[in-house]
Amino acid sequence: MHAIPQLIVSTLLLGAIYALIAVGLTLIFGVMRVVNFAHGEFLMLGMYLAFGAWALLNFDPYVTFVLSLPIYLAVGWASYRVVMRPIVHASHNVQVFTTVGLSIALQNVALVLWTADARFLRTDYYAVVVRIFGAAFNVAQIVAFGASVALTAALFAFMRWSYTGKVMRATAQDRQASALMGIDTDRVYAITWAVGIACVGAAGVLLAPIYPVYPTAGLQFVLIAYVAVVLGGLGNMAGAVIAALVIAAVEVFGSYVIGTSWKEVLYLLLFITVLVVRPAGLFGQRGAEMVGM
Amino acid sequence: MRGVTPAVIFFAGAGLAPLVVQDAFLLDSLVFILIWGAAAAAWNVAGGYAGQISLGHSAFFGLGAYGAAIFGVRWELSPWLGLAAGALVAMVVGLLIGYLSNRLRGPYFVLATIAFSQVLLVAASRWRGFLSGGEGIPVPFRPGFWTLGIADKRVWVWIVLGLAILAYVVAMYLERARRGYQLAAVREDEDAALSLGVPARRLKVAAICVSAALTAACGALWAQYVGFVDPFYVFSVDLSLRFALAAVVGGLGTALGPFLGAALVTTVETFLRGQFGGIGAGLVGIYLIIYGCALIVMVRWAPQGLVGWVRERWPRRAVAGTAP
Repeated sequence: MHAIPQLIVSTLLLGAIYALIAVGLTLIFGVMRVVNFAHGEFLMLGMYLAFGAWALLNFDPYVTFVLSLPIYLAVGWASYRVVMRPIVHASHNVQVFTTVGLSIALQNVALVLWTADARFLRTDYYAVVVRIFGAAFNVAQIVAFGASVALTAALFAFMRWSYTGKVMRATAQDRQASALMGIDTDRVYAITWAVGIACVGAAGVLLAPIYPVYPTAGLQFVLIAYVAVVLGGLGNMAGAVIAALVIAAVEVFGSYVIGTSWKEVLYLLLFITVLVVRPAGLFGQRGAEMVGM
Repeated sequence: MRGVTPAVIFFAGAGLAPLVVQDAFLLDSLVFILIWGAAAAAWNVAGGYAGQISLGHSAFFGLGAYGAAIFGVRWELSPWLGLAAGALVAMVVGLLIGYLSNRLRGPYFVLATIAFSQVLLVAASRWRGFLSGGEGIPVPFRPGFWTLGIADKRVWVWIVLGLAILAYVVAMYLERARRGYQLAAVREDEDAALSLGVPARRLKVAAICVSAALTAACGALWAQYVGFVDPFYVFSVDLSLRFALAAVVGGLGTALGPFLGAALVTTVETFLRGQFGGIGAGLVGIYLIIYGCALIVMVRWAPQGLVGWVRERWPRRAVAGTAP
């Protein structure tokens, strides 16, 4: 029983990061109706951004974190203009293959620039251990947790209270009606995409000091994000956060009980169960899967 | 035999090439073009004709590959039996996936298929004893046709050509037969098809099953030809993408498209690898960057693929059964 506090704190630390990744994905889906299959690659590029800034310029990853937000907003905006804009209203097939193409291209940009070797970002304070209720953690995990919670909260506040957030929610509800109300939907999509990408990029920067960095590093995290997003109901941000915590709990407690080597199977089976039993997720609209929305 | 002339030329060319070409490298490329072409055509049965876009087809490919490897290595039986067993298991798994994700459309279906293939990847790479876990299974060379230990690449071309033609015939059946039209109706508007009495659910599952069995057969032959089964490759999302891309490039829902797509993609890949591979090991990724960008450009400006593009330029006189 002595392990329980450690497991709970682990769940929260992991869940916060998963939530930040999932929130960006679900926001993009909710407003643009596009599942971003390149989400993991933006995460991976965030990890490389932190690693590169640290290795070349000796930037602390948390300095990079602050700088990464405007950089990623710009990257997101640019990638929307070039890649996403023409296909926002296209069929599912076209959307799937466009983001898949983007994913292949980005993954291999990383491969060409940094090779397939796993890189490690090790700060001086990497080995510093913090104790919470008898549970031990390193500083990077705690900072990643704090920053993720802060960013996710900021995004929720933005969506809830800012005018732009309101416009984005209106577009998510009904794109035709909002266009008729004079909302510039193209601009809304650009902002949505940029914000979603900035969230996942920031998450990548926060993960860099904890996990090894390599060109396909995004896949393992984004798979979890897909599970979280579907479990929470595609397009539902609060649902995604709760689902991210559920998955983190499944992963942490599952690893403790049956060992780490089968932990992926647990959340994949959870995912399949959700898709089969209730594809709309915990908080989604029933029947959403039937129209593919 | 209207409308099949290009296919006859393509397959006859592939079948006669080994009589003329002696170069091992070219024959090797041809074997791969036909294997990837057959796999893409198999994918196309579900993805193109039935509209069930799957990014988890490597699950079936891997089952076939493991079938051949286990029959050959563990039980010392013929890999042909392994191929049959793999195809059968893949059909059952396809039945399961098709049945379970029947309600899912669009991105939901894509995500479900990815999840299924990942479950198999984790299972195969963690099951240490029987499946050798992440180390993979080397498939030893045992000479003879029954054991599929064939050194002559010309024979390999003819074996995989047989499978490729089988996949093409299935696609032609879907273009000509009543069931094919029904499947097209399901793809274009499932609700409308259902209301007209088309058994949409059953047709979709059947398409996935047939597609799964053909993909598994490709996997079994691939495992025997390459001689090594690596779970991280045969169950990967990348491999699923390879099938889907060849079909998209060639033309979704066309019979010959996947083969043309596979020929183009494999040739360009080999060429670019040769070009960039020599400069530095890290630059091998460049061809994939081009690949990714080409895909984005392609689905934007020529979503019908090569075959669709050609048909637009040079329309045939009215012939029944043309895919969209």
